[in-house]
Amino acid sequence: MAGLSAVLLKDLKLELRSGQSTIALVALSLLILVVLVFALGNEGVRGPEGAAGALWVALVFAGTVGATKALLAEGENGCLRGLVISPVDRATLFAAKMMAAAIFMAIAEIAAVALMVLFFNLEFDARLARIVPILALGIVGFAALATLLAAVSGRTRAADLLMPILAVPMFVPALIAGVKASAGVLAGRPLSGLQAWLGILVAFDIIFVVSGYLLFEQVARED
Amino acid sequence: MSQVPVRLRGLAKSYGLKPVLRSVELEIAPGGCVVIVGDNGCGKSTLLRTIAGLSRPSGGEALLFGEEAWRLAGPMRQRVGVLSHQSFLYPNLTARENLEFYGRLYGVPKVGAAAGRWLERMGLAAVSRARVGTFSRGMEQRLALARAMLAAPEVLVLDEPFSALDGEGTTLAVALIKEAVAQRTAVAMSTHGRPPLSGFEFKTLRLVAGVLKPAALDEAGREAVTGARTGLAGSVDGGTVGGFAQRPEA
Repeated sequence: MAGLSAVLLKDLKLELRSGQSTIALVALSLLILVVLVFALGNEGVRGPEGAAGALWVALVFAGTVGATKALLAEGENGCLRGLVISPVDRATLFAAKMMAAAIFMAIAEIAAVALMVLFFNLEFDARLARIVPILALGIVGFAALATLLAAVSGRTRAADLLMPILAVPMFVPALIAGVKASAGVLAGRPLSGLQAWLGILVAFDIIFVVSGYLLFEQVARED
Repeated sequence: MSQVPVRLRGLAKSYGLKPVLRSVELEIAPGGCVVIVGDNGCGKSTLLRTIAGLSRPSGGEALLFGEEAWRLAGPMRQRVGVLSHQSFLYPNLTARENLEFYGRLYGVPKVGAAAGRWLERMGLAAVSRARVGTFSRGMEQRLALARAMLAAPEVLVLDEPFSALDGEGTTLAVALIKEAVAQRTAVAMSTHGRPPLSGFEFKTLRLVAGVLKPAALDEAGREAVTGARTGLAGSVDGGTVGGFAQRPEA
């Protein structure tokens, strides 16, 4: 636990100092929402499904940038190597990096939800509270997947290109489930009526977290 | 501890089809110091990375305390200090924050006080609150040395420890290595030429074509005596070297 908290607190301190990831994520989320609002145009399309789609597109792109930045920051001065040969086991390192990415994504998502309400003419009401667990599941799953893939792609010269190519297709099933569940909630349906979609999200969270936990050691080590 | 801290058995390392290390044999006992010299690109850093567990051997074994270095368990890693070409320091953290962070990872007790002592020792106390990104290369190297030695490791792997250091820094680094050897730390280090070590026994080996050979260097760092044996480099125990040229004083 000492290793996990040391790495996580170090990441948060670095982020507070530079603000690089959070600013990039919030700006990217804003840009995506603005583009989609103008692209969707009339009020009919800009309903719950449009809002949910915009929110999850923002989540995926923000998560891709956030996880890549969180891990690439370790590339400076070979810091990732310093962590890999430290007494902290690699699974704990994965957990710390995943939690840092999830926190950065959550901050971006808070901003994205506020902007979604404004741009899509929604209300700040109970429906927003019900979307929180859905987004939380999405954030955990995507943070786990993106952290693992950032470690893979970080070993190549085309890290920025490789990351979305790998991450987005693998996340598609969870993305569909997240969009459907979010749209249902924004349309006023209770969470109990969306169990099938939530089940898919939970299943993919388990797959991504367990895969990352088991594979990070292999990925982080040099050949 | 009965286990030999560093033992290489038939160690080989290739990148693709290109062999870098071929059947390297080496043992370093507690209090032993081995200096590996060689030309640029001869594989010194690869050898030290493999000893440190950063790289997996293509053949043979690199053992630390009797376990394979590349999959050494977390608690065992507490006993190994590594200085690489890269400093492993975060540019956006201060010198003190960097040492405290690594101190926590390595379970150093009273980490704040320990970091303070090391900053004082390395002549960096005045800049302890400055971010490492503002440091000169020499200052960063001093801090990286402190990071590697912070947890009083039983094995020290030092890749070019005198790189970028000025005269004072080099004297300081030599004193630290000498202290570590006196405390029975096993030291494996590399330099381009003649190591500026003095006051204790160490063994110099030259890496040629992926094989360690015994070497005695003249004042200019050239090989004065060329070892004829290849492969087996014998063992080092507190400077007691069997069968190879050794220099009690540099």
